[in-house]
Amino acid sequence: MIALTLAAMALLVFASRYLFLEPRLPIELGPKLRRLMGYATPAVLSAVIAPMVLSHQGELVTDWQNPYLLGAIAAVLIMLLTKNTLLSTVLSMVLFVMLKFWLFA
Amino acid sequence: MSHTVDPNSKPPSKELWLGTIAMTPLSIAVAPWGFLVGAYALEVGLSPLEAQSLSLFVFAGTSQLVALGLLQAQAGFVAIMLTTALITSRHLLYSMALRDKISPLPARWRYGLGFLLTDELFVHTPSNDGKPLNKWYALGAGLSFYIAWNLATLLGILAGSAIPNLTELGLEFAVVATFTAMLVPMIRSLAIACCCATASTVAVLGAVMDWQAGLLLAILSGMFAGFIFEQAQEYLQ
Repeated sequence: MIALTLAAMALLVFASRYLFLEPRLPIELGPKLRRLMGYATPAVLSAVIAPMVLSHQGELVTDWQNPYLLGAIAAVLIMLLTKNTLLSTVLSMVLFVMLKFWLFA
Repeated sequence: MSHTVDPNSKPPSKELWLGTIAMTPLSIAVAPWGFLVGAYALEVGLSPLEAQSLSLFVFAGTSQLVALGLLQAQAGFVAIMLTTALITSRHLLYSMALRDKISPLPARWRYGLGFLLTDELFVHTPSNDGKPLNKWYALGAGLSFYIAWNLATLLGILAGSAIPNLTELGLEFAVVATFTAMLVPMIRSLAIACCCATASTVAVLGAVMDWQAGLLLAILSGMFAGFIFEQAQEYLQ
């Protein structure tokens, strides 16, 4: 069952990446659909991050002393200030580890 | 052949290397996430071989992570496929954007670069600047990222089999950190901000209310919120 799920996922992902690279494909997406799809990436990223940051085991997080929330805020600020992906990722992860295992432990 | 040869292109080995170098920051940043996917897969109940196969053949961090979460929640095959289809739909846009540059290439290049076409590779491939795409550069960037992702997964599998409950250490913050760094520069308009706010709200609501299709609903409502906002803005102008 897992093997089937894996194979189907692999096919689905490859198909979406390859479809428009195929020269014999005659269709193009219409402009409206194209614009709707333009929102897929920010929607996916937000929908994955938000529950990790704002909820814990099915409960809304209301406590400010939450390493996920503070780490995410740090990542946003560093990204806005430096526009450096690696710096933002590494520094926010360091802050997260310090908060989780040291300050709030 | 419609594609022209870039007079500034360097020998293949040099371009491979340049692509690898350009991708290095993201290859490093993604390591904790690849590690997490490996360790988490074992915790969900996959064998080490299945866990590595996910990264070898699916090679899509978000889809892998979300699918593992759904497997853990005992979601069915159809739910996993629908969610994967929605999450992966953004890749259609990437292949569309690179159609003019990659579709004239021989089949093995199309398949190869298509397989490697992640968010990260797309960010590093000039899509509409008029310059020809150097296939060796793209291969270097894509392949080095693929190797980094799989090595990180392997480490996660090895560590996960040695240390139980590894995922309780908070490794999933790697996803938050990586996605936040990718998301922030993307928010360039009110419509995109509206999309993100809606997707976040519905996703949190879904997590708190324990909806099976929470993520799916969140992504769809975010996409439509952004699109409708944009259409309304144009209509009002």
